[in-house]
Amino acid sequence: MDEALLPAPLPERLSEIGPVDILVGIPSFNNARTIGHVVRAIQAGFAKYFPNERTLLLNSDGGSTDDTQEVVRTTTLSDYGTILAAHPVHGVHRIVTPYHGIPGKGSALRTVFAVAKAAGAKACAVVDADLRSITPEWLDLLISPVFRQGFDFVAPLYRRHKYDGTITNSIVYPLTRTLFGKRVRQPIGGDFGFSGRLASHFLEHDVWHSDVARFGIDIWMTSTAITSGYQVCQSFLGAKIHDVKDPGVDLSKMLTQVVSSVFSLMESHEQLWKGVSETQTVPLFGFEHTVGLEAIRVDVGRMVGIFRSGARDLSAIWERILTPETFSLVQNLTGTDDGRFRFPARLWVQVVYDFAAAYHHPTMNRDHLLRSLTPLYLGRTASFVNETADADAGQVEDVIEGLCREYESMKPYLVERWDG
Amino acid sequence: MGASFSEKLLAALNAFFEGVVRFLPGLLAALLILAIGTVIGWLVKVAVRRTLAVARFDHFCDSSGVSQVLNKADIRATPSSLMGSLFFWLVFASFLMAGLSALEVEVIKRLISEFFLYLPRILAALAILLVGFLLANFVSRAALLASVNANMPSPRLISGVVKFLIAILAFAMALEQLEIAKSIVIAAFIISFGAVMLGLAIAFGLGGRDVAKKVLERQIKDLDQPKERDGFSHI
Repeated sequence: MDEALLPAPLPERLSEIGPVDILVGIPSFNNARTIGHVVRAIQAGFAKYFPNERTLLLNSDGGSTDDTQEVVRTTTLSDYGTILAAHPVHGVHRIVTPYHGIPGKGSALRTVFAVAKAAGAKACAVVDADLRSITPEWLDLLISPVFRQGFDFVAPLYRRHKYDGTITNSIVYPLTRTLFGKRVRQPIGGDFGFSGRLASHFLEHDVWHSDVARFGIDIWMTSTAITSGYQVCQSFLGAKIHDVKDPGVDLSKMLTQVVSSVFSLMESHEQLWKGVSETQTVPLFGFEHTVGLEAIRVDVGRMVGIFRSGARDLSAIWERILTPETFSLVQNLTGTDDGRFRFPARLWVQVVYDFAAAYHHPTMNRDHLLRSLTPLYLGRTASFVNETADADAGQVEDVIEGLCREYESMKPYLVERWDG
Repeated sequence: MGASFSEKLLAALNAFFEGVVRFLPGLLAALLILAIGTVIGWLVKVAVRRTLAVARFDHFCDSSGVSQVLNKADIRATPSSLMGSLFFWLVFASFLMAGLSALEVEVIKRLISEFFLYLPRILAALAILLVGFLLANFVSRAALLASVNANMPSPRLISGVVKFLIAILAFAMALEQLEIAKSIVIAAFIISFGAVMLGLAIAFGLGGRDVAKKVLERQIKDLDQPKERDGFSHI
């Protein structure tokens, strides 16, 4: 099967290179502006932290029409002195290859897993091609726990602005933690480290023609590592700054993709998550530090406005998803002023669990079902912004921790609704 | 004279009884065909209901909004029961036609052949109406969700207009399929569609000039500014 995953010149090229110890993959699509920096950081990381190991840099490209592939082929780090590193003993091998399959990050990573297996890599990492804040240290933090400490999966831990990552903070992190019992703070971070044997395990799953191949690979990797019993840890990488995303990508589509990925995993791991009753922290590597909380533009009025519009115009849809009690409590929220608007954590958890149950027993098209979550999510986000207006990073984490506890304490409600 | 009258009477009675004797086998055959049709129709009904139950047809109707419309129309039967009954009546009607043709009456025979020639058009029209109804529900709900999530004014109006236009189109296509006043239907559709658009244009341009101005200003402002208004990343 893996042979078929490796396009024609790739097996020969891998034979020339021979076995490698460490593999870093970069999935890309039209990232010529930023990928040069990522390649330089990886080369420097190899030289500084793994000078004696056989290393391979693999760019799995989705058919870029700009100079992405050329940039990867030609970018070199000439001045190793600036990073206090010697030239690596074996040099850094690099391969640029197109991936096969459905367009998406998942298909790109499937090729990385196949190359890792074919080359016998012991430790691997994947990093996004649009990163502007990646440093050579990221390689040490993502690979050393696997290569030197025996872990199988390293999730990233970024320091972000208190309002960044609200989908992660209000849905993905608390829900995956409650379901699978491991407190992985950034389960859809995008940059991961993993062992060669876990890469082989990923390949054994038949998910490469599903949404996992398109957009759900990050949460799928994290949950597969946890549910398959592999050793999981986190590494603190500092700030994550990436290229400006396409402003045309709308929030509703993004939310639908992320939430559908998590709900699909709930269906495939139903027996496992129902048996999990408590959560555990996972080991953390790296030196944690804080980042500034500069003022950013947040339009609470607009978010509450969309929530109110949803309560008014989508009530017929929400009535089919939410329990009568949840629906009534949500409708009661619409009368509050924007500045004092609150969406209680417990009610939010009830909403998410009702949506999960409705996804499991669909009473309408699933895409429509999840798109109707957007106004509720914006209502909860507006409430979070109001609640944490004067809070520092630590206090914000306390609020998120409180939300996680609500998710955990209400798990019996989820099971009841799921089975109902 | 008396003999002639009694002969004529006997001849008439003979002719009547001969007619009855000639007609009776046909009538019995028609009744038998009808009885067989009732049994087969009932079997088909049961088979259809069970097959649809296995295929979770009621569930599909719940999710596509068909059940809600049936409830609104005060039809309490489940969609799979309704489909079972529909198939029963289709089978029964076919056997009824076959039974009537056994009567060997020329007019009835002609009507029956016309009925069977027209039947595919009726079925096609029903299918068009069903697909049109499902499509109208699906697209109008998608329009409603997109309008709410994009913070557009009057999401329900947008959704309603979308549903109305698709329903009108499906209705016109069904009538066209039935060949009922073809030219009138097409003309009526064009006039209705044009009237809706003209009405919207007038309402928006004259009655809602200020609203139109605000909407356009907002759209232009949106083009100038990034779509993600908030300074943070949701993901």
